[in-house]
Amino acid sequence: MLLDTSGMKPIYIQIAEWIEAEILNGNFLPHDKVYSQYTLADMFTINPATAAKGLKLLAEENILYSKRGLGKFVTPEAKEIIMDKRKNQTLKQLLEDVVVEAEQLKVDEQELMQLLQATIAKRKGRK
Amino acid sequence: MEAIVCEGLTKKQKQLTTLKEVSFSIPENTIVGVVGRNGAGKTTLLKILAGLWRASAGNVHVLGENPFNSLYVSTNTIYISNEMVLPNSLSLSVLLTEAGRFYPRWNDDLARRLVEYFGFRGNDLYTQLSTGKRNTFNAIIGLSSRCPITIFDEPTTGMDQAVRNDFYRALLKDYLQVPRTILLSSHHLEEVEELLEAVLLLDRGKKQLYLPMDDVKHEAVGLTGRTEMVYTYTQAKTVFYRESIGMDTTYTVIKANQVDMEKAKQLGIQVTPVSASDFCVYLTRAGKGAIDDVFQ
Repeated sequence: MLLDTSGMKPIYIQIAEWIEAEILNGNFLPHDKVYSQYTLADMFTINPATAAKGLKLLAEENILYSKRGLGKFVTPEAKEIIMDKRKNQTLKQLLEDVVVEAEQLKVDEQELMQLLQATIAKRKGRK
Repeated sequence: MEAIVCEGLTKKQKQLTTLKEVSFSIPENTIVGVVGRNGAGKTTLLKILAGLWRASAGNVHVLGENPFNSLYVSTNTIYISNEMVLPNSLSLSVLLTEAGRFYPRWNDDLARRLVEYFGFRGNDLYTQLSTGKRNTFNAIIGLSSRCPITIFDEPTTGMDQAVRNDFYRALLKDYLQVPRTILLSSHHLEEVEELLEAVLLLDRGKKQLYLPMDDVKHEAVGLTGRTEMVYTYTQAKTVFYRESIGMDTTYTVIKANQVDMEKAKQLGIQVTPVSASDFCVYLTRAGKGAIDDVFQ
């Protein structure tokens, strides 16, 4: 993964999201040890304090737990928490952006629903 | 523990006051960037911290001692700059051996691997090197000394992009292995910001800002929108910078915590991030006007 250094998203959140993606992909299973702040710092050429901030964020969200002196590990419910978070935050935010954009373009509710359904149908057809 | 503490540090050189009551402290084992425009006082500050120059007023503590005339501080500190003077009668290889005798934590293996990696030959002479090569060699000495206080004053002057990237990566990797306090002054904050824990911005001898890197990146945001809208919206807010673009569009940089994203969106104002390096440029602009005014 390459870090987006110019964007709005802080590096430590990008690190947290990268670990979340690794958990969703099954590269880290419950009770697996995740990378230490030093390994992350080396992998992405960032200050270890920034990496530590990303790990701390995941620990606060119960996606990781700490074992004193051993590092951070994936909680059994990590995957569920991440999915839930993405649904409630990321997806909702994206939908809101869509609605705002539609308003600006004077696309009414009916037309927007049709567009959404068409997109779903198109993806289904591709599968 | 604090590795470096300055309180009201002032330096007068002839009639000029090059540092004005600068106060800050740097915790042990952190990487701090020192940035500012030409003549902002970066080198003066770093030379005082390294014990090379004496402060005119105020207190300076490096590793708990006043660095000037302190043997303890000079054993544990290295100051790397592009003004380093090394004897021309010694080959690079001998220079490394001699440097090793000065610094108790010197890692000779690292020094020789880096020298080989960056394409030096052991019997080259220092003064025959190009500016970029000379600074690369200086940087190798700086890294290999592994001093608890390592100061790099614009270490990448003249280095090509590939060497700069390699140097930053080497700095981080060796820091992860042997944590120490590193000060890095640079004109290219965007190149080093990911390495830094905090940044100290100097402006005409004064401390303009000293913040954790993450905070600097989120201090300000840029607003782009119709001039009238932007002016109304930014009234009574902290404006760092303003620029008009095209006929009726204004770009304004203001304090991030004064922006209500929802409200800005409703007014048709686009909110964009302001990079740490741009923010520092906006903070240290000299008075009013811009280069364009010269050509009016």
